[in-house]
Amino acid sequence: MFTIDRVIAPVLGIAFALALAVSSPVIATATPLAEAEKGAVAEIEQAIEGAVVKVAGEDEKAAAESIQSVPAPKQVAVEEPVEEKSKSTADHSKFEELDIDFKSGPQVTKACLKCHTEAAKQIHKTKHWSWEYINPDTGQKLGKKHVINNFCTSVKSNNTFCSACHIGYGWADDSFDFTAEANVDCLVCHDTTGTYKKLPGLSGHPNYETIEWPPHSGKFRPPTDLKQVAQNVGPTSRKTCGTCHFYGGGGDAVKHGDLDSSLTNPGRYLDVHMDSKGLNFTCSTCHVTDEHEVSGSRYGPTAADEKGVLVPGSQDPRNPTTCVACHGNTPHPDKAAKLNDHTRKLACQTCHIPAYARSTLQTKMSWDWSTAGKLDEQGHRIQLKNSAGKVVYDSKKGNFTYDRYVVPEYQWFNGKVNYTLFGDKVSEDSVVKINEFQGDADDPEARIWPVRVFRGKQMYDKGLQTLAVLHTAGKDDAAFWGNYDWDKAMEVGMRTAGSEYSGELGFVSTEMSWPITHMVSPKEDALACESCHTDGGRLAGIDGIYLPARDRMPLLDMIGFGVALLALIGVLIHGGIRVILAKRED
Amino acid sequence: MWKAVMGFIAGIALLGIVGFNTAGSFMMVEHESPFGIEETAARIQANIQRMGHRGWTLSGLRDPSKAVANSGRNVPPVLLVEACSTDYSGVLLADDQARILSIMMPCTITVYKKDDGKTYIGTMNSALMGRLFGKKVAAVMNEVAKDQAEFLKFDPNQPAPPLIKVKPGGGGAGGPEVSGC
Repeated sequence: MFTIDRVIAPVLGIAFALALAVSSPVIATATPLAEAEKGAVAEIEQAIEGAVVKVAGEDEKAAAESIQSVPAPKQVAVEEPVEEKSKSTADHSKFEELDIDFKSGPQVTKACLKCHTEAAKQIHKTKHWSWEYINPDTGQKLGKKHVINNFCTSVKSNNTFCSACHIGYGWADDSFDFTAEANVDCLVCHDTTGTYKKLPGLSGHPNYETIEWPPHSGKFRPPTDLKQVAQNVGPTSRKTCGTCHFYGGGGDAVKHGDLDSSLTNPGRYLDVHMDSKGLNFTCSTCHVTDEHEVSGSRYGPTAADEKGVLVPGSQDPRNPTTCVACHGNTPHPDKAAKLNDHTRKLACQTCHIPAYARSTLQTKMSWDWSTAGKLDEQGHRIQLKNSAGKVVYDSKKGNFTYDRYVVPEYQWFNGKVNYTLFGDKVSEDSVVKINEFQGDADDPEARIWPVRVFRGKQMYDKGLQTLAVLHTAGKDDAAFWGNYDWDKAMEVGMRTAGSEYSGELGFVSTEMSWPITHMVSPKEDALACESCHTDGGRLAGIDGIYLPARDRMPLLDMIGFGVALLALIGVLIHGGIRVILAKRED
Repeated sequence: MWKAVMGFIAGIALLGIVGFNTAGSFMMVEHESPFGIEETAARIQANIQRMGHRGWTLSGLRDPSKAVANSGRNVPPVLLVEACSTDYSGVLLADDQARILSIMMPCTITVYKKDDGKTYIGTMNSALMGRLFGKKVAAVMNEVAKDQAEFLKFDPNQPAPPLIKVKPGGGGAGGPEVSGC
């Protein structure tokens, strides 16, 4: 049986090869290149040169922000972003009404309204103005004015700071006049100079005098040149919308995860639609605006649209911000027609946004208020930073965690959302869902959506068993960020919200869900089949559907394995018979 | 006899195929990190600095993914932590036969994210690599491997250190943070 030709020779061969490998020098001796090889090397050199030139052509600021990248040759000119010339029929710098040394924002608004007579009336009807939205399905009063989130928690009692992102001037407290047209802030959306900034603490006004900013930094910001801004107004842009929406939750990239300042001038891979050298969509390209009401809101989202393409200009009241509104429900070509079947169960974003926070900016992943208020031995505020320089502990706010290139969580979502609002009962025994996405596999309106779930621990009134409103910011002596006195801040906050603080402060774990819908990758970066169709893949937690390669049918498995086993037995029997017959012939 | 020769050749071929298909996985080692990209890289850097008594200094920190992203293509984040110890590089660079191994200097540890959203650390299997180049190199690389294992020991109770943005190509005279090989 163990003959030299069948066993010993192969073993000797393996041993010989091993010995040769071990004894031979791994490093090849220098040999002259053949002509063909030289050609190949030249091609590679050209390719590398081309790649280096591409790197050199990128935005200098982005390159400077990055950690050491491939160094580029200095002689290659850096591409400057081309400034688009305005196509407007009106040059606002030529208007007499705007040739004034304005002293305040409302004074500018009055000048704007001389020509744009209906603008303020339109703004007054929008969510940007009222910060209020009544959910038609649940009747819940939502919007920033009412919702308690798990970031800074609540606008109530903190208006002077929060209204830095209000589309108006002067909302400091409940006495704010929501009917005054002059209170509308035109400049925050229509500034093109990039110099107009509404700083927290000024009740929605820009600074009219020199101000130290950030506070105690030793840096001073000169008064806003309102005339300059007013004479250079234009259409909204990613930058103007981003002034608030990129910085929600108290800083860049904090709140949304898929919206941050990297989208001001993004590359194709970061967002294929907003790619500044490609399609260059602004926010309003999708968030089509009608009488200043901006379409598409997380308070009334559209999870699925069976009707398909929405023709521009049509009077159809459907949401124009969906992917389907442009791409329809069968967006893939015939050769990839199977993908079109997926649109019955999957949101487009599920495959086409494989991760969020895909720039170098870290997004906040959790916020623990329960640790806030610790001071150092001298009684000073403490700030600790992580490896990327982001604050992970702040006496004012507690602990944070961050991440970037975050893989979303996935949920069934039919567009309906239930919120836990002020007054709703909560307890420490379970995680409080600040908002809860509705829908399941049997719901024809539901799709599987990529979701950012922001986790936190936040204040609640133990006695009243409700989420708490904390008076965090303000110049008075009750503001938590000034005195670090929980009870004092709770008393004012709760009273402003219309309740009396019970005196018992507690902390509850919370979750808030955000549909991921920006940072759309180019199609070549969309998820591959095996991302989901595998054991433990991205959709491991999705129930109610049979997902091939993730799910198993025991009967089918048994039949399959049975057939394979029978085939193996057949081969062995057949082979065995042939061997026996061959030996008999010998 | 021809059967023996054929068997011998088949044995060589089999080993070649197996070796060709598996060598890569032996040469590189991948670990999952409990921290994010920046923190993992920063903790490795801090460990490298702690190994200064064995000649280790940071040589660079590179982000190749940024350059790729700038060109409009998509790659998850990658950070390359570079370090070098003149205690080891000096031995190799002094030897005509081993000097070509400078191609692998400085020692690089890669920190990256994968499609599952987790952070991973990739290192070269220095000990095994060293064995391929003779006794002298094997001895040096064996020591490198031991030190490398120390670089990857993390104490989660320690606060995250700051990421040190070392310029690549330090010449050794710029102090402990910027020197290299």
